[in-house]
Amino acid sequence: MNVSPTIALFPEASFGAALNCVGIAQELRRQGARPVFICHPGFTGIFAEYGFMEYHLTAATAPSAPSSERHWEEFLNTHLPNFNLSPSEQIKSYVVPTWDAIVDSAIAVEDSLRDILAQIRPDVVLLDNVIMFPAIANAGPPWVRVVSCAETEIPDPAVPPYLSGLDPADTAACAAFRKAYVAATRRTHRRYNAFRRKCGLPALPGEIFLENSAHLNLLLAPAGVRYDRANPLPADRFVYLEGCVRRESPFDLPHFPAETGPVIYTSFGSLGALDTALIQRLIAAFEAIPARFIVNAGGYIDSYHRVPDNVHLGDWFPQPSVVARSDLFIHHGGNNSFCEALFHGVPSLIMPYCWDGHDNAQRAAQSRVGKWVNRTGWTPESLREDIASLLADSEMRARLCGISARMRRQPGPEKAADAILGLQRRALRLTRPKGTGNAPL
Amino acid sequence: MAITKRSSHQNHLDLARQITGIALERGMARGDHLPEQSFSEACGVSRTPIRSAFRLLESQDILEWRQEQGYFLALDTPDAITAALGALESAEDSLVTRILADRAERRIGEIQSVSALARRYEVSRSTVLFSLKVLSKDGIVTQLPGRAWAFHPMIDSPRSAEESFEMRLQLEPLALRSLGFTLDSKRAGLLRNQMNEFLELEETRASGAGFRRLDIGFHELVAEGSGNRFVRSALMAHHRLRHASREGQTIPAFRMQQAMEEHLEILDALERKQFDLAADQMTVHLRRSSIRRPAAANRGISPLVRGAGA
Repeated sequence: MNVSPTIALFPEASFGAALNCVGIAQELRRQGARPVFICHPGFTGIFAEYGFMEYHLTAATAPSAPSSERHWEEFLNTHLPNFNLSPSEQIKSYVVPTWDAIVDSAIAVEDSLRDILAQIRPDVVLLDNVIMFPAIANAGPPWVRVVSCAETEIPDPAVPPYLSGLDPADTAACAAFRKAYVAATRRTHRRYNAFRRKCGLPALPGEIFLENSAHLNLLLAPAGVRYDRANPLPADRFVYLEGCVRRESPFDLPHFPAETGPVIYTSFGSLGALDTALIQRLIAAFEAIPARFIVNAGGYIDSYHRVPDNVHLGDWFPQPSVVARSDLFIHHGGNNSFCEALFHGVPSLIMPYCWDGHDNAQRAAQSRVGKWVNRTGWTPESLREDIASLLADSEMRARLCGISARMRRQPGPEKAADAILGLQRRALRLTRPKGTGNAPL
Repeated sequence: MAITKRSSHQNHLDLARQITGIALERGMARGDHLPEQSFSEACGVSRTPIRSAFRLLESQDILEWRQEQGYFLALDTPDAITAALGALESAEDSLVTRILADRAERRIGEIQSVSALARRYEVSRSTVLFSLKVLSKDGIVTQLPGRAWAFHPMIDSPRSAEESFEMRLQLEPLALRSLGFTLDSKRAGLLRNQMNEFLELEETRASGAGFRRLDIGFHELVAEGSGNRFVRSALMAHHRLRHASREGQTIPAFRMQQAMEEHLEILDALERKQFDLAADQMTVHLRRSSIRRPAAANRGISPLVRGAGA
């Protein structure tokens, strides 16, 4: 009897990775596999709503920490001002504390993760994160690395440093950023390496917190915006997905009192929604622009009391379906958002605030598929002009059409599922005693 | 729009129709005077509602108001009057919908005056007043002392959605367990067919609006069947608020279909008269539906989760 292979997907606690994995899991299910999710506390029910089994991690440390809401209030007070800094200024103020927190969270769930993996007994584990969890490397089944951030996460001499937002041609700036980054993260990196050694894993070289998988690595980077690497990634272990856009419920355009004008979708992700002052400023500027704006206000929708007639606010949208109906996408440079815009051939106006948002903003501008606008450096007039020029740029539109057509020819979730199930079959052949039955699927 | 809204609206329009019918029967022509007292006696109502109905007809240019003389017929053929009444009905229905949509979209504030709304929608004050009365009947607005009107809270944010589920988790199972619960079997059969049709849809065609319509219809059926009048009344008012609000717009297709299957299971139990089982199934159904996404998430920090429904 053939048994469906169990694929355990473990996305980090962010919507980008979580929903990227949903897209892959939908396709794995369609191809007959049994995808299940390992999820962080707080993500309860998110994957179940898409019909997937969930296994919940528990942190080792007692919850003496401040409540979730208090914790986030502190996070906001500390980091909101940092989002206005340049990428190099953010290294010390935002990136290092974030890496510290990531290492803490990896250590905290290690025991729980080991127990869950022993319970699931997956055929393949999919890790969509920025750090390695030793329980995965030690579990036995092959594991897959998913790079749902920008491809800068995997270093190369021809690729600008991760989180730098730099042009690779600016070699001096790239070298300076890399040096500053390695120096600033050194203490955290040592702490992480000590944890790895304790768990029986070798230490990683400076600036690397997650090794490539020896089995399979999946990158979202679509060909239209991909870097020519000095050291091309081996095709037998690295698969480019051309984005990884999930299927979502259809989106009916909301009613606007004035039913005319292009549709412009604005979302800065759940983290960007914390910056209600920026979104309020944008909404005020939108009022004078002849277009219809759909704005994701996230969990802070109660902060908005006077919404112009050409703006529709929501706390959650089936984003791929909304982007599909938009003429322009204003976002933070999150890799899922960027890939969704490319997939649907929609230009991006990117206002990055942290992490790889800077890298995608730089790449979008350099590849002429969008524009990088500084979060604080715009006025209502400049924003109006930027929006108008992006909407009128027929050359950009044609370029995006080409990129979109290529991405649609090779849907990322399908490519990912094929590669994962191919790996599972190879692994099965290696472990199956001679003379046993056919491999599943 | 909720049934009671239509009923309330209908009363005003019915009187206006009655008045025009009498005017035509009497062979009145353009420019003829309509005495209040005479129409009050003919319609069997006091002069106050007659005056309101006259104002309504004036807003649609069926009647004309002359200072110190009263109301006069401004149209003279039955077709013209019928067309104007039809336009009036749709204009007022549409105004109720527009006011509700704009409030749900936070385009108009919590406190409103009739004049401000008349300016915004470019309609007469009497048309606005009728719409506000329709909304008032549904408990969506309340007239404050003076001329202002206040909107009640709507279900338009994660927090209010959570509060809505908290309330429904208490009341809907209670409705099913109430003595004398009666299922409207004709409506249940109709809903069952519609829900089965929804389940046949491909994932990419299952729209949130279609789901929402059936979902509220099913829960209204449960509320209306309750043998406890207070539970019924509270739930019906709340479902009217759900109609008016924007809650539950975007749910993954899988969950929409799963929720439909849960509705059908509850209907099965009700048709077998297993009310306790149906109540337990309702609790499970509402708990599943009430799971909220984290308000914020970022690497290295536990997601922001608010409230018990998370």
